[in-house]
Amino acid sequence: MRPSDAHEVSQLNELKIDVGALVVGAHYALTGQQVMVEQMPIFGGYAGGLEATTIVDVATTLNSFVMMQATWHLDGPIHVRWGITTAREPLAVAGHAARAIEEHTNLILGNQYYTLAGPCTVMCLLETAAQAITDTISGREILSGVASAKGVTTDLFSAMEARMMGEAAHAVAGMDLHEVNVILDKLVATYEGDYKTAPQGKKFQDCYDVKTLTPSDEYVQVYNEAVKILTSLGLTYWDK
Amino acid sequence: MKTIAKPVTVFDVYQRAKTGSKVEEREWDFKIIPQTAKALAEKYDIKMDKKTIVPEDRELIDKLWEAGLELLVTCGVYSMDTGRVIKYTRDEVLTAITAAPDHFIFGEGKEATYVVPRSYDSSRPPIIQGGPTGSPCSEEAFLSIHQAYAQEPIVDTIVDGVMQTVMGYDPTPGSPWELMAVHAEIDQVREAMTRAGRTGMGL
Repeated sequence: MRPSDAHEVSQLNELKIDVGALVVGAHYALTGQQVMVEQMPIFGGYAGGLEATTIVDVATTLNSFVMMQATWHLDGPIHVRWGITTAREPLAVAGHAARAIEEHTNLILGNQYYTLAGPCTVMCLLETAAQAITDTISGREILSGVASAKGVTTDLFSAMEARMMGEAAHAVAGMDLHEVNVILDKLVATYEGDYKTAPQGKKFQDCYDVKTLTPSDEYVQVYNEAVKILTSLGLTYWDK
Repeated sequence: MKTIAKPVTVFDVYQRAKTGSKVEEREWDFKIIPQTAKALAEKYDIKMDKKTIVPEDRELIDKLWEAGLELLVTCGVYSMDTGRVIKYTRDEVLTAITAAPDHFIFGEGKEATYVVPRSYDSSRPPIIQGGPTGSPCSEEAFLSIHQAYAQEPIVDTIVDGVMQTVMGYDPTPGSPWELMAVHAEIDQVREAMTRAGRTGMGL
């Protein structure tokens, strides 16, 4: 790793730490590294509901800069039942926590992505877009992802999800907050009833040409379908 | 003349982890954190509407800030290994926030990405860090998978996946193969960046 890379160390749920992490933090401090401190508060976990989890998220984020002298904090509020960051509640936690901190500091804030659906599915792309929109209009600086289908299955992710994360962020940067909130509400409603039947999707090898490293025609069509839905909701990025 | 506050360091934190007040972990998880967070939500009269995913109400934003800051100062952080609580003063927290970097350079050379604060209404998009975010990657596909991310023009930096085997061996945590796997991951991500024509991207 170079000094210009992000050197990671994690906190534990909620507002907990182990001495091993402090030792890692000491090494980073003594060698002058750029430090990224990660922690994913659990909605429905120890903290409880929406308001309490958001308060814990704000405190956890601030702790990264006190405890480890972080360069930046990587958030990732996650739903206790679904294990994803793209459900409505974790999105609201992330959106509220980021706005609260962004309004009062110049801290650098990131967020990480765990979808329920897998690659080469419209649902996965819409979940990704919803979080990218949330993070962008709440003032976050770094979007990090995507761990598709909860990030637990070998090779079940692809660069197309990152493309959507980027394009959705670019699509809403600078838009009116209220206007985007209305779009976001409708966007989340398109997939939040489908959690029990979320499609697993296809592994990298099955939705990419592994020699040219380009997405399959099928995935391009799926991507275009997701773009069509986002455009119908009011995003004009892909019209240009 | 006012004394200039010294930021808390990780070494100070370790000392406090050895000397702070003793608490049972169950008490921390099931009483101290949930009860304090709930009490602060009530104290500041915080009510969120989950249909409004990003708050538009400035008063709510300020209340969440105050409540989060107060939670950190009131509860502190629990050290699992010592069973003690690491506490900070409000001034220490505010000093750390002031001392934190408000910019940094991610990566190097022509692919260096300048990370600076942005506001919720900024027309400047955030940094896009593409990759599997710690998801499991097969050893055989690791390089190709990461090259595919690096060749996406909208991706600024890479977040890598976790190699499942190295030279066919299981990189069990704490074993020599774990170190081999970590080195192999870094080497292959760098190679993926180079093959995509983007040597120097941040990782």
